[in-house]
Amino acid sequence: MKRNTVNMIALACFALALALGAARHAQAQDAKNPYPTSMVPLDQYLMGRDAEIALARSAAPRSVAKDATVMVLGKDGYETAVEGTNGFVCNVDRSWMDQFEDSPEFWNPKRRGPVCYNPPAARTLLPITLIRTKLALAGKSKAEMNEGMKAAIEKGKLPALDPGGMAYMLSKQGFLNSTCGNCSPHLMFYVPVKDAHTWGAAPLGTDAPILLAPHFNGAPEPVTEFIVPVSEWSDGTSADSDAHSH
Amino acid sequence: MKRKTVKMIAWGLFALALVQDAARHAQAQDAKTPYPTMLPLDQYLMDRDAEIAMSRSAGPNSVSSGAKVLVLGRHGYETAVEGKNGFVCLVGRSWDLPKNNPAFWDPKIHGPICLSAPGARSFLPIYLKKTELAIAGRSNAQIEDAIIDGIAKGELPTPEPGSVSYMMSKQGYLNAGVKGPWLPHVMFFVPEIDPKALGSDLGDDVPLDAHEEKIGRYTTIDVPVSNWSDGTPADSGDHAH
Repeated sequence: MKRNTVNMIALACFALALALGAARHAQAQDAKNPYPTSMVPLDQYLMGRDAEIALARSAAPRSVAKDATVMVLGKDGYETAVEGTNGFVCNVDRSWMDQFEDSPEFWNPKRRGPVCYNPPAARTLLPITLIRTKLALAGKSKAEMNEGMKAAIEKGKLPALDPGGMAYMLSKQGFLNSTCGNCSPHLMFYVPVKDAHTWGAAPLGTDAPILLAPHFNGAPEPVTEFIVPVSEWSDGTSADSDAHSH
Repeated sequence: MKRKTVKMIAWGLFALALVQDAARHAQAQDAKTPYPTMLPLDQYLMDRDAEIAMSRSAGPNSVSSGAKVLVLGRHGYETAVEGKNGFVCLVGRSWDLPKNNPAFWDPKIHGPICLSAPGARSFLPIYLKKTELAIAGRSNAQIEDAIIDGIAKGELPTPEPGSVSYMMSKQGYLNAGVKGPWLPHVMFFVPEIDPKALGSDLGDDVPLDAHEEKIGRYTTIDVPVSNWSDGTPADSGDHAH
């Protein structure tokens, strides 16, 4: 397995990008931001219905995804394309699921994050996706979305987190960000907001077995997402066989 | 990684892996009954420094370097190293197994584990109680009954949300089936939930294994990870199955 080597390269690239970016970050953002700084026309975030269903299902092992509900993004938000029977819900996240701070790709229309939520997470995490998407499609800015989400939380529109919430992100076809592409196959576990150290978690880009996702975590959603990289994509191929894994 | 050939069983602090021919294996063990009762305590003890090192090998260095370390002594577990990050590392022994497991008194079993603070608060007392009873000469049935009774009476804790443990040591010996440490893995403990709601048992392609623990009413989720705690890849280990 060449994971360590790949990890080191990815980490080095990530560190280099940060180092280069830090000095010129504000200037570069203003002068030549490679990503849109506001929402581009909705069509650019949409995809073919059948392709989106297939992409959404690729998030999980076939034994999970084949009986899952599948939601696809339409002009008015996510809609159910396939009714499932096992309680899992799969969809393709868009860029506005990023953290609200330090997220240059927040409006990147290329972003595709296939994810399958287990039943507890479908009840309590999926509403975050639906609320954020509703705000985005209503034309809200990133700052307005942040405020809108805070208001939704204050009004109790987010269900309390169910124990055992988790999700699969095992798709080789996703595009999670421009740094790592489809990144690496991983599971995500959701808990009430916690400090990363209580799980021994490390930041993304490190080689730790449990990583802390940069979004949510009280900013503003009251949930912490921990990421556990695994060794295989949903199609059964090794994570190390893909150049983008890290 | 041949995770698909492995089915986990777990009870208590540390999971023990069995290959899929577990039933046949267990029958063979039963026929021999190699360890029907506890052996002299010395056979379960380790050199103190070796036990500290093995305990720490359960977690990545970022976790274990600041963890409290417990070692087994003649009167039970004792603190060998004070920690500062809330994690507790130790080497579990065989009496954490279910009472009918033929390896219940197998002195070869060593399960290095590092528990998060919630895990240490809510799981460790159960295992320490088992250890106390084992050293006091109780039988496997008496130990399990006492734990069930203790939980029912509220004298022993139930799992706290956010309980996590690391079992990433290449040096462990979890059972005779794998003759080693199985795979490096992390474990999450959540209030009782159907394993199918996590994807477990839905197919061999699912990269986790979950099982309900009726004693204590919680669910354990095992997720194999890529590397041992020393950074070497899992599939380079001689013991990986």
